[in-house]
Amino acid sequence: MLVSRDWLKEYVALPNHDELVDRLTMSGLNHEGSEMVGDDQQIDLEVTSNRSDCLGHIGVAREISVLFESPLKLPAPQPAAAGADISQAFDVQIDCPELCYRFTARLIRGVKVGPSPDWLVERLQTVGIASVNNIVDISNYVMLECGQPLHTFDYDQLRGHKIVVREPAEKESLVAIDHNTYALQPGMCVIADGERAVGLGGVMGGADTEVTDKSCNILVEAAFFNPMCIRATARKLKLHSAASYRFERSLNSENIDWASRRCCELIMQLAGGQLAEGMLDVGRPPTARPPIEFRFPQLQRILGIAIPRETAVAILENLGFGVSAGAHDSDDSISVTAPAWRLDVNREIDLIEEVGRIYGYDKVPDDIAVPMAASVRSHEDRVMQKIRHAITAAGFDEAMTASLVPEAWSDCFTAWSDHPPLKSHQAMLGVLDTSWQNMPVNLLRRSLLPSLLEAFRINEYKQNDQVELFETARVYLANADGLPTEPIKLGIVSERSYGELKGIIEALVGMLNTQVVVETDECDLPLLDITESAELLLDGQRLGWVGKISPATQELFRLKRDATVAELDVGLLNHIATRVALHGQISPFPALTRDFNFIVEEAVRWGDLAKSVREASPELLESIRYKETFRNAEKDGENKKRVLLSVVLRSAEATLTGEQAEAACQAIVNHCKDRQGAELLG
Amino acid sequence: MSSDTAMPLDEFIKQLESLAAEAEQTFQDAVDAEKLETARVEFLGARQGRLKSVQKSLGRIDKSDKPAAGKKLNEVKNRIQSSFEASQANLSCGQAERIRDLQVDPSLPGQRPRIGRLHPITQTIEELKDIMGRLGFTPAEGPEVEDPWHNFEALNIPEIHPARDPLDNFYLSLASKQAGLDSQLLLRSQTSTVQIRVMENTPPPVRIISLGRVYRPDTADATHYPMFHQMEGLLIDTEVSLADLKTVLHLFATNYLGEDVPVRIRPSFFPFTEPSVEADYYWNGKWVEFGGAGIVDPNVLKSVGYDPDAVSGFAFGLGVERLCMVRHKITDIRDLFTNEVRFLRQF
Repeated sequence: MLVSRDWLKEYVALPNHDELVDRLTMSGLNHEGSEMVGDDQQIDLEVTSNRSDCLGHIGVAREISVLFESPLKLPAPQPAAAGADISQAFDVQIDCPELCYRFTARLIRGVKVGPSPDWLVERLQTVGIASVNNIVDISNYVMLECGQPLHTFDYDQLRGHKIVVREPAEKESLVAIDHNTYALQPGMCVIADGERAVGLGGVMGGADTEVTDKSCNILVEAAFFNPMCIRATARKLKLHSAASYRFERSLNSENIDWASRRCCELIMQLAGGQLAEGMLDVGRPPTARPPIEFRFPQLQRILGIAIPRETAVAILENLGFGVSAGAHDSDDSISVTAPAWRLDVNREIDLIEEVGRIYGYDKVPDDIAVPMAASVRSHEDRVMQKIRHAITAAGFDEAMTASLVPEAWSDCFTAWSDHPPLKSHQAMLGVLDTSWQNMPVNLLRRSLLPSLLEAFRINEYKQNDQVELFETARVYLANADGLPTEPIKLGIVSERSYGELKGIIEALVGMLNTQVVVETDECDLPLLDITESAELLLDGQRLGWVGKISPATQELFRLKRDATVAELDVGLLNHIATRVALHGQISPFPALTRDFNFIVEEAVRWGDLAKSVREASPELLESIRYKETFRNAEKDGENKKRVLLSVVLRSAEATLTGEQAEAACQAIVNHCKDRQGAELLG
Repeated sequence: MSSDTAMPLDEFIKQLESLAAEAEQTFQDAVDAEKLETARVEFLGARQGRLKSVQKSLGRIDKSDKPAAGKKLNEVKNRIQSSFEASQANLSCGQAERIRDLQVDPSLPGQRPRIGRLHPITQTIEELKDIMGRLGFTPAEGPEVEDPWHNFEALNIPEIHPARDPLDNFYLSLASKQAGLDSQLLLRSQTSTVQIRVMENTPPPVRIISLGRVYRPDTADATHYPMFHQMEGLLIDTEVSLADLKTVLHLFATNYLGEDVPVRIRPSFFPFTEPSVEADYYWNGKWVEFGGAGIVDPNVLKSVGYDPDAVSGFAFGLGVERLCMVRHKITDIRDLFTNEVRFLRQF
């Protein structure tokens, strides 16, 4: 809201600029800047959406008068009327009382339209409004003075001697005073004469009936519209005006008559003419405000400072509130009635804010003793921190990508849920690289991997080296009804090999729980290479997947480099993560290492072989290590391979004897033979 | 002549021992090469050295004791010699034998393991959590997809409020064709939703922060992104006032910025707080906006089943991106979500 310093001075004495804007900022009208316009000063104040009373100079002046305790001088317009009552010449009817709450009209005959006097031009100029003619300028002036938008019609262009406020007829349109044609839609509030639309209520008037140099008789409209309707109309038509801005925020219906009189008075002063008797006034009259009980002790309770009762009462009275004795005959409370212009004040808590903001929040201390409390860090939070530390130590940078994705990405990895994704009615704009040709970004993602592959692509395109990224974020899995499930996933994209990435995951799991083994299962997911990929399991539960991306994925994301990805369920990692690690006795006895060279069928998986080894001698087996795989078709036959592994054996009770070690090794050989048909070489 | 006088073995050994002790001490005390050389001449000098003169007494030892005396003499000689060498090594570090091999270039880069970086937003969030944790606020989580009750109604944002405009929110529906019903679900537009969920399930007192992604359909540009992060704090107890709020904000700012910074609160407007304030801190000579705050609106307390006459509380919220960008001098919010590794590795 731009205000003129000279203009404000008409209503209240002003302190120097800095003190003024400082106090206004600290009481709710944040100062955004000031600049000189001619000899006057333009002051830009931020008015919050609840304070429509400050969308005019008088409202701002009232704040100043209360803050600096100087009197407020307001005009008392009493335009002299004569002749027949307006109702004999004209009629107003409201057909849509839900859209237009109140409509008033006054008539002035015989005005002389012309340029405005300098003072008026300058006033408007200071707040950035160009002068049109005296009549239009006056209606703008009164709006900027008291906050109530007004509209002036060329009375002689109105047909049928009436105004009908109604919803638009089918296919009705309006040429507004900006000379654009607007298609009117149901739910909008049209001001029509006997034949056609002549204005869009609360938004903009029509070109046909606007006041021109030739106009002689003027109809002055002051009305009150449904804020929701005005807001929707302005948005739909992308037609935002100073009037719609004010009506959207709701206005003080009691002000309508004053604004209309003020407008007529100024017109007669500056453009001559004669005001017809009476005012057409249709719709709801303003309703009286119910009193609010105000308990003094609440001031201290909410604001944390003691404010003397007399001070509180004086503040409320200065702001225009009516104050009388409390309903309960108690010294602790009073009964307060809000003034018509303070639509935002309806409850005791609102009154507390009024007293507080004028008294000054700077008096609220910032060094009181706030009671201590223990805060708790959740298990999930700790695990997440461990995961992040481990994964960054393994060389991955953390990425952060948008939760909505385009359809092509959404469909390429649906392994967590085959429910269709949730779809947003609106797409995210400006988040997708232009090379994706404006695909709408409107689906809640079910995997982080497509977004990470896109980040990989952008890095590749920018010729960045060593693109190793991870993200921890939610995916959104729809349910039949109610809220979706939002599990947190760890997504990884890497230039490293399948084996390296799998090793990192194994190390990560091992860091969280030394006992759990990462097991694998075959998988067939379109995103991943059919050979170098696996489903990962912990204790039989699905942890996620790891794999090289498939050629199709590489093509979809236009990648040149090979990429390996993994996506893990953080929920399962939380579940298996050790909360408090316990010390177990560390055997003081020496270890024995034994190598095994098994010949097995090509189809035998290491995971199964290792499991057999582990289960063969669980008491003595300390660790098992994969060493190498060889193939020698000549000696071993087709479809066979040699797997070399080594185990460390150690007893917790004593130094292993040769016989014990031999027995353990034999058990391993037997187990692997039984389970995998493994033959020991040599 | 005294030189002819026979010397008992004991006496000889005693002399040697005391000489050795004195020599060791002297070598040890020699602070530079010059002093050490003087000491060497004194004890080990080929002609005038004191060891030499003791050695001369060997002739006066009884024949039967000679082997023992000789052995002891050698022992002491070695002791003194090695003591000298040790001191010499200490002083000179054996310069003569150390030759630098220039083929070895110790300035070559090491085999550096790559250590990744946490995203600057995560770093900011962790710091905020850390500070608020020390002030007794426990992190709380809630869903990002919300219903209108938690995102609006319970927060005192009625149906007619402009904040509920479909154009200003990401309303959702199931993408499947058969699901014709409009779910009314939406991506949360603020993390206050978490406050409602916590209060619905917890009797007062409540002292939490909620952190996470929020969504508003702004077109992405240098200062806007349709997804961003918020941190909100909530404290509900029997006697909580604006003074508690201002104190906590003051402690927070002092903690975050590392020195005592003034804070101020000025009136503002939010549906879920009354009084509502905007909090600023004074930094580098000007007031910097910190975030919105206020006393929890009685309607909000009522909506979760609390009695506004029995409990009160404050809430505050701030944009994580803005704090992060100010701190790291990031000028385009989109850089945070492009994930270029050259960007990420700066932090």
